[in-house]
Amino acid sequence: MKITILGIGVAGGFGTGVKEMHDALLSGQGNHSTILLENCGEPLALPAFRADTSRLKDFVPQKALRRIDNFSKLGLLGAYLALEDAGLLADGCHDQLGVVIATGYGATGTTFAFIDSFINDGDICASPTHFANSVHNSAAANISMLLGATGPCSTISQFHHSVPSALQTASLWLTEGRADRVLFGAVEELSELIGYAWYRQRGYPVHAGMKPLMTGMESALIGEGAAFMLLSRRDEEREGYCQLEQVTTGKGLAPGFLDCADDLLLLGADGRQEIGAAYATVAEHPRIACFTGLYSSSSAGPAFDLAAAALMLKNDQTYPDPSGGTCDFQATVATGGEIIRTSRISSLSLSEDNGFGLVTLKRV
Amino acid sequence: MTFSPVAITGLGCICAAGNSLDDCMRSIFSGARNPAPPLRFSSNHPIRYPVFEIPDFAEPSGMLRTSALGLHAAREALADAGLEREFLDTLRVGVCMGTTVGCAMSNETFCREYRSGNLPDMTLMETILRSNPASVIAREFGFYGPCQTIVNACSSGTDAIGLAASWIRSGVCDIALAGGADELGRITYLGFISLLISDENPCRPFDINRKGLNLGEAGAVLVLESEKVRSIRRKKARSFMLGYGSACDAYHLTAPRPDGAGLKSAITEALACNVINPSSIAFVNAHGTGTPENDKVETRVLAEMLPGVPFLSTKGYTGHTLGAAGAIEAVFTAACLELGRIPASAGFVTPDPELGGTPVTEITSFDGTIALSGSLAFGGNNSVIILGKAGES
Repeated sequence: MKITILGIGVAGGFGTGVKEMHDALLSGQGNHSTILLENCGEPLALPAFRADTSRLKDFVPQKALRRIDNFSKLGLLGAYLALEDAGLLADGCHDQLGVVIATGYGATGTTFAFIDSFINDGDICASPTHFANSVHNSAAANISMLLGATGPCSTISQFHHSVPSALQTASLWLTEGRADRVLFGAVEELSELIGYAWYRQRGYPVHAGMKPLMTGMESALIGEGAAFMLLSRRDEEREGYCQLEQVTTGKGLAPGFLDCADDLLLLGADGRQEIGAAYATVAEHPRIACFTGLYSSSSAGPAFDLAAAALMLKNDQTYPDPSGGTCDFQATVATGGEIIRTSRISSLSLSEDNGFGLVTLKRV
Repeated sequence: MTFSPVAITGLGCICAAGNSLDDCMRSIFSGARNPAPPLRFSSNHPIRYPVFEIPDFAEPSGMLRTSALGLHAAREALADAGLEREFLDTLRVGVCMGTTVGCAMSNETFCREYRSGNLPDMTLMETILRSNPASVIAREFGFYGPCQTIVNACSSGTDAIGLAASWIRSGVCDIALAGGADELGRITYLGFISLLISDENPCRPFDINRKGLNLGEAGAVLVLESEKVRSIRRKKARSFMLGYGSACDAYHLTAPRPDGAGLKSAITEALACNVINPSSIAFVNAHGTGTPENDKVETRVLAEMLPGVPFLSTKGYTGHTLGAAGAIEAVFTAACLELGRIPASAGFVTPDPELGGTPVTEITSFDGTIALSGSLAFGGNNSVIILGKAGES
């Protein structure tokens, strides 16, 4: 059975939608701003990739968005953009549409707002609205509600390993016929306390931009965003970006496992020094690319990687390395404008606990 | 599409009813239940709502209690399955766990310190980051197969088992540990109180005077095993996963769809997995939270789709254990299939004419070999699994 990526919906530091992502990939220019925090009571502006959800008003009436928090807005925007990109926005029949969301941290802004509600005013004043929206599956639920998607609906949270795990679930649902189409997406929200925890763990960034292929140094920048794909198993829907050929997850990626020959290998290296060495070890590969510098170190990153891979397969060309091709291990970094040459691109993400996710996309 | 049954060869659980499956079964068949105001945390809320705490369980430092509960259940399930570490090392073993709080970056102490302009202790956040429930189990046993934590609110445990069965059928792994875990804490305690769906008294699922749920905490794990591995070690199954269905209400964040359409779809899908006739269902371990709306919708759907089938809620013995609920109820369902009887639905006294039926009020024997366990969740998720007695499926 073939699974086709029919549409892509993205929102991140680079902008909103496939075109703005494509433009950012072509230019190799990331665009980070800041998130405002407090450190021991003092204000602090931490560099961060922020996403803008204002385009959501093109799809959902303002009134319906009143009680929807930023986390769910990010998810909704990604979902609607993917449907729009697939030309299926007007297709109101979503009874066989499944929804699978990957999120590392969930609706953290609302979770902290809920805690604030009883810290500030006592236990009896805990906010029911914040509590109801703080559950990890709130974005998936809001997407299902607003789209009328009555198929299966699931949210996976495996921190930096959430995306390949969730994609594996989406793939199984389609293979087993539990859904005809699945809206698969990753959502990560940057809230104040998450930003603060990041700052405490990693300190203030030393470098202005990310250099993820310099694996021996720390260059991660925090960010948020949503990356969605509309997947279809229908025979009549074969004209999309590419096909999802394989998803493998597990622990202990052995050297030589990456049996992708001359295929372009897209690395999820994201400037975190503690995981950099693992990428350098397994990815000594003829041809690699890495675009996380355009959308941050985020558990949603591997989903943006898949969107980039799908765009490359469809356009049959590579994008330039955002950090200028600097790499501290033995590999050939693809430059912009090269022909893809092969019919597949594989995307590799690694986690600190020796976990891996390998996703292979194939040209239609 | 129909699916081959998947063998369940090991069961493990811990909850307020007991620290092992045997303890739990003895306790619930004795009718014992002891909900009481929380001891592990305090609250300045004027009402002290009862909960189902596990009294004699301590998590190791640096690990969330949620993950420790899951790990405890996993150890029991692996021992029950007779799986030794050396043999497991030769297999691709996956872990799929459901939870609600096990992945949440929510630590009240950290928040209070931050808001006060102090320097919060980062070990609080690092503990959460190290305690993903599925990852903890995989790390403890050195498993290298797929590893997923499902966060579908109260259907998480049921969904984890359904997904793990798909892993086995598709060959993604040889063995899967599947289940759920969740701990009691102030955040969920105050959250459910704020939603006005907590009962000030011991919960009364399906009773006319029900006022809501009592929270509980639990860990529960099932060992799902491929036929290839089972034939190598000639292991008898305890039960079989026959069906799984899941559908979304797409209706409301916290309330079930009044017509029960999502639950009906989930039941229909689960039955279709093995072309199971509804009349062959021996009993239903219902979600049965004791909230007015859940019990109304659920009983009406059961009356329509599985008329006359005995049903119960075991939440009267365990409390609502959120992400662990579907898993612990699946474990109880498998154990009851072996015993050929189900306990009384604790807390039920007076029928509610608004409901589609009444649960069993005493220990009830049955002749059938197939049972259904269902979960309804925030976000509109409805998930159902169907289990078959070993040797009969």
